[in-house]
Amino acid sequence: MKAVCWMGKENMQVHNVPDPTILNPRDAIIRITSTCICGSDLHLYNGFVPTMEQGDIMGHEFMGEVVEVGPGVSRDKLKVGDRVVVPFTIACGNCTSCQDKLWSSCDNSNPNAWIAEKLMGYSPSGLFGYTHMLGGYAGGQAQYARVPFADIGPLKIPDGISDEKAVFLSDIFPTGYMGAENCNIRPGDTIAVWGCGPVGQFAIRSCFMLGADRVIAIDRVPERLEMAREAGAETLNFEEVDILEALREMTGNQGPDACMDVVGMEASGHGLVFAMDKAKQFLHTQMDRPIVLRQAILACKKGGTVSVPGVYASFIDKVPMGAYVNKGLTMKTGQTHMMRYMQPLLERIQKGDIDPSFVISHVVPIDQAPAAYRTFRDKQDDCTKVVLKPWETAAAA
Amino acid sequence: MNSRNSSQASSERGLNDFLSSNSLLIGAAALMAFGITRRSKTSLALATAGGLLAANASRSRRQSNASHTRATFLVNSSPEKAYQLWRDFSNLARFMRHVKSVQVLDETNSEWVVLGPMEREIRWYAEIIDDVKNERISWRSQPDSLVQTSGSVEFQPHRAGRGTFVTATVRYTPGGALSKAIATMLGKHPQFMIREDLRRFKALLEAGETPTTLGQPHGPRGVHGSVEQVLFRETTNLAAPQAAHAYSKTA
Repeated sequence: MKAVCWMGKENMQVHNVPDPTILNPRDAIIRITSTCICGSDLHLYNGFVPTMEQGDIMGHEFMGEVVEVGPGVSRDKLKVGDRVVVPFTIACGNCTSCQDKLWSSCDNSNPNAWIAEKLMGYSPSGLFGYTHMLGGYAGGQAQYARVPFADIGPLKIPDGISDEKAVFLSDIFPTGYMGAENCNIRPGDTIAVWGCGPVGQFAIRSCFMLGADRVIAIDRVPERLEMAREAGAETLNFEEVDILEALREMTGNQGPDACMDVVGMEASGHGLVFAMDKAKQFLHTQMDRPIVLRQAILACKKGGTVSVPGVYASFIDKVPMGAYVNKGLTMKTGQTHMMRYMQPLLERIQKGDIDPSFVISHVVPIDQAPAAYRTFRDKQDDCTKVVLKPWETAAAA
Repeated sequence: MNSRNSSQASSERGLNDFLSSNSLLIGAAALMAFGITRRSKTSLALATAGGLLAANASRSRRQSNASHTRATFLVNSSPEKAYQLWRDFSNLARFMRHVKSVQVLDETNSEWVVLGPMEREIRWYAEIIDDVKNERISWRSQPDSLVQTSGSVEFQPHRAGRGTFVTATVRYTPGGALSKAIATMLGKHPQFMIREDLRRFKALLEAGETPTTLGQPHGPRGVHGSVEQVLFRETTNLAAPQAAHAYSKTA
């Protein structure tokens, strides 16, 4: 089968590799019909997340048709022919974390848990195509994928709903939604959202779904800010204004009730501290650049909430802990507990509350994935979200 | 068991302490430095490995050169179910990575096949010497076996009903410092192995299977990828040379 392989920093290649097979009783094999490039894949593309291995198959946002099911999967749960979306977190369903519905904290799905334990104390769940520290599972930017614990994760999608509407249930829609839920929104709240990429767009819309009165969206890419305005957000361009001053002005010296960092470890910014962050990241003395996180803590209202759906991989410097403590803030984070959100959000799509396909800017055959990574990373060609079609060839596109 | 070689053992222990502390730390630091100065994937892996080695080395300085090693996991299960899974020794090979098979001969006796250096099979007979239903099991190799080893496992219910603490202990004859350093690097250090075995026991008990990526497809690994696979301990599900070493030097 064809698969997008990580061959090193800024080096993606499409290779012909063997088809996946059932390795464990609760596995299933999915024939992939749509698969996406995620903003978090760009952290891997840029080489900022440790424990990627040359030859790894990328991708954690995919959907398709079940073509094989292991003997440990009940046929009531999943059978050959089912059309499913696969969540990017892998969960066993039986450990205490899963039973507490903390699906992305599953104890039993990461075969390399020891690596994550060295870095984080305890290991989160395994993920598809996202470093060996988080499982080393082959990802879904391919024609087929093996899905472990297939009786827990995959969500069946009715025929009436197109791939383009359903595929984002694999990660970014639930991730944006959980980011908004973590803001503890009460009616009338004002929420500031840093980052208007695909997850940010879903986060903005989810804030409104959950009752926020105002959403202030922060980015610098004009088409992304425009997309945020279409959802009803007010926007700030951090290249043009001082964000802290602007937020102070807009909230009457109160600050937003909650601040959401949908940017993570590769934030952009200005000035000396940003330059030092970049230098430290280059030297690997600091893996992550926490510009947005610092701003979010400083901007947040007293007693407010900082929600962090953005990806951080290791350590950060100069966190304004004084502000965090003295203002009595709460921070809520986590990889998305996918299985909590997939079914309810599918129902919202079915009801017509939202059509997630609005984020798609590019649909290309899988052979063009390497170029698509570059386009997406550099935000060229108004690129907001890339969907790959594994079975189409370049000629047909 | 150590008394007859006590003087030799103590001098070797002195050497071990030196090697496992200072030079290992220096080597680990060198690996990290090398890795950090080169901004490539392999070097990052090397730096990570160096860091892990350093962590291990500094930890082994704090611990004595104990001849036994143990691990505890809280599992989401009753003591009864946990006990049952372990008590059937034919299950051991499903979660003990270096064990190829355990054949149950009768109520207390079993034949163990472990893969040693060059995937050579090492076999011994073990007997259960203590067996309290739903509480603990102890076993040891029979006195005339080539390999001298013993182990035990205890099942203790969580006081507030949140599962069962499973504590496994394995006694073995400690090896030299160099082999220990290599073993640590390759993930064959006894402390590492027992933790990982117990982690897999938990997965098998709770989820009915142990997670794996062995046999999944991947693109060309090249030199870098292959080195990283070893460092991330994903190359094989079978035992490597240090496995038998974990149990005895005499094998």
